Amino acid sequence: MVEELTVSGLAANLAAYIRHRLPDAEGVEVTGLERIFGGASRETYRFVLSYHLNGQALSRPLILRRDPPGSLIETQRAVEFEAYRAFYGSAVPVPEPLWLEEDAHWLDYPFFIMQEVQGFEANPQLIVLPPYAEHAQRFAERKWTILGEIAKADPAALGLIGVMEPVAPDQCWQRELAHWEKAIDQDELAPQPVIRAAIRWLRRHPPPPAQKISVVHADFRTGNFLYDTEGRIHAILDWEMAHLGDPLEDLAWGLNPVWRWAHDERAGGLVPQDEAIRIWERASGLRAVPEALHWWEVFSSVKGQGIWVSGAKEFTDGKNQDLILALSSWLMQNSQDRAVLAKLGYLS
Amino acid sequence: MKPDIDRFIDVAASYLMAQLAPTLVSQYDQSNVTILGVLLMAVREEFERAAARRIEENQALRRLFAEAAPVVQAPALRQRLDEAAAGTEASLLVADLERGNAALRGLLIDLHAHVEGLTAPAARRIEAAIWQELVASTERRRLMMGPF
Repeated sequence: MVEELTVSGLAANLAAYIRHRLPDAEGVEVTGLERIFGGASRETYRFVLSYHLNGQALSRPLILRRDPPGSLIETQRAVEFEAYRAFYGSAVPVPEPLWLEEDAHWLDYPFFIMQEVQGFEANPQLIVLPPYAEHAQRFAERKWTILGEIAKADPAALGLIGVMEPVAPDQCWQRELAHWEKAIDQDELAPQPVIRAAIRWLRRHPPPPAQKISVVHADFRTGNFLYDTEGRIHAILDWEMAHLGDPLEDLAWGLNPVWRWAHDERAGGLVPQDEAIRIWERASGLRAVPEALHWWEVFSSVKGQGIWVSGAKEFTDGKNQDLILALSSWLMQNSQDRAVLAKLGYLS
Repeated sequence: MKPDIDRFIDVAASYLMAQLAPTLVSQYDQSNVTILGVLLMAVREEFERAAARRIEENQALRRLFAEAAPVVQAPALRQRLDEAAAGTEASLLVADLERGNAALRGLLIDLHAHVEGLTAPAARRIEAAIWQELVASTERRRLMMGPF
């Protein structure tokens, strides 16, 4: 059992690490280190790095993403870091990734450090309220255009082949379904008859092969991007589940009814679903074949439930006492069951 | 106990969210205290119905199993259904009701998978009844503040 570092201890160790990474820098200081909410699979901290280099004083706001003892989802930090690296500077806005450290001796757990994109909002419930709500159409255009850009991107050109596990177009659905069914098998604290029925339905109605193998962000939804009061999106965050697969997986996940923050029919609380799909198709150059998208929409609730039951188990086992795990498990499990019942036509 | 639990929770949640959270310097602490308040509101909703919804559901599942057993082709499953249908609540403590509910819902999964493989019209009727119960069970668990 690792004795948890205090915030001041963490700041000191972080400064020591950065001195190691920037051997020519002088006066390296880490200030303002504080934990913030930023995804449920890693502890997220913001801090300011200050140092002198060649006589010049430099200061930069940064983000530390550190592995916790337990999390909502088991993910590979290297994959997340490489996803940021791959898209940095592209049509998909992401923070600049700086250092990935797998050696746990520095901060007790592996971690990576990236740029902090400051001054913007991420809260999914605020985007549907003034002063943001009036820009819903513009947000939607940007959101699903960016997702289309991710779908359109060539994983090989991005340098992600070898980083992310390869998959054949006709195997995407089986791999993802097996992954999340296994998570539910391992982590459910109570039987899940709705989701088990959905899993059997998915196996009886396999989708067509993927049109192409794309990078799948895998958690692309309102809440995982930074936005402003003018309808602009400044950074796509939380690439912790990114993988290669069917681009419809990403589209369907963002359309899941549990992300309808405005509590109406609008996808992600922004625009009608057909409009979101039209934007994505235009940006990606791909087609969201209705039968295939329907399969991935049903699947998205299985995946969602996999995430919520795993979070509930982590919290119950005491591996991670983050209250957001308890809240998301309580609020989302029932909504996820309702979502899949609606998608299968049993709930209006 | 007086004051009633719901009144106590209203006051406690309101204190956490409206009074304590805004005074905290750390954004993370502020968010956690707000979450705690939201969780308390969910506890309030669940506390009131905790025993009632489990008793109602366990009874509904036993009725469903009694109706389904004659249609089932597998003897071992039919026997489990007969035994479950004849069961009653040994205790009304929520933890005991929950254990019983988990056992019944596990059996529901096995029954559902079995009838999906049968072709008789009676099997379709049972399957429709199972879906009805799945919808009802989801409604019983619905939280006011759930996103969908």
